[in-house]
Amino acid sequence: METALNGDSVEPITVHDFSEKVLEQLVHFHVMKLSGGFFLWIGSEPVLSSLALAVSSKHDAMPLSTLVLGDPSDTTPSSLAQRLSKICFNQSIQCFTAEVQCHQSAMTSSFFSAKKTKKQVFVSYNLPLTNSNLALLVENRIKKEMELHPDKF
Amino acid sequence: MAPQPVIRSRQTEKSINGIPTQVVCTEFSNYIFIVLTQYGKIGTLVSITPDTRSGEISLPMFTTRVLLGKDEPLTHVYAKNVAMFVSQESGNRPVLLGLSLKDNSAETMKDVKDMIKACQVW
Repeated sequence: METALNGDSVEPITVHDFSEKVLEQLVHFHVMKLSGGFFLWIGSEPVLSSLALAVSSKHDAMPLSTLVLGDPSDTTPSSLAQRLSKICFNQSIQCFTAEVQCHQSAMTSSFFSAKKTKKQVFVSYNLPLTNSNLALLVENRIKKEMELHPDKF
Repeated sequence: MAPQPVIRSRQTEKSINGIPTQVVCTEFSNYIFIVLTQYGKIGTLVSITPDTRSGEISLPMFTTRVLLGKDEPLTHVYAKNVAMFVSQESGNRPVLLGLSLKDNSAETMKDVKDMIKACQVW
């Protein structure tokens, strides 16, 4: 971890790749861990055809999402970003709760507000849309990876 | 054995005027994606697209578009300056640039461009 001039800590960006054969198709995943979120690319060929962003915060029950690039009639990237952002957010809350229990500090509430809890998740989904079953299996594979390697997201 | 990743990316980190700066370049067949940050975030997302006009000898033209974040004139100027050469060197591919700098002065732009060059994936 590095400390910048103004005292904010900036975590180094890390990259994580994994692949899985889903319905006879080799699907590649590329994760870029950022400060306060991540970028996830999913595809079989190295093309960037869509990009969606979802943001979750403690103020919203459901993360807000928007499509940045691609076909607006296809909701797969934005809804996937939305769900992953929720998971990412909940994971960080769990981590945070553990941290607080560890510290047992009296000023937990101020500690809580000082901690940034907003999560930004970028998703680029580049698989054929004809198969919704594929999208479901792909999503489950991502969730599994998030559970196995929470430090990579 | 795990299959080779299809996405190629390179990254570097350097301190510019005492501010830790990170660059991550990722290659796609239809885009070069560059994250240029002093916050560890994507920040403002800008696309830099070469205008395709055949048979023109004059300087190439580029269209910049802020896809996410504050749309300021300086953002367009900065994005064009740091990313134009990437598009030209990568066979006129459009560039997607995530820009979040504390210092976006012209003086440090050369250092920033050198960092991008060091992460050549195209």
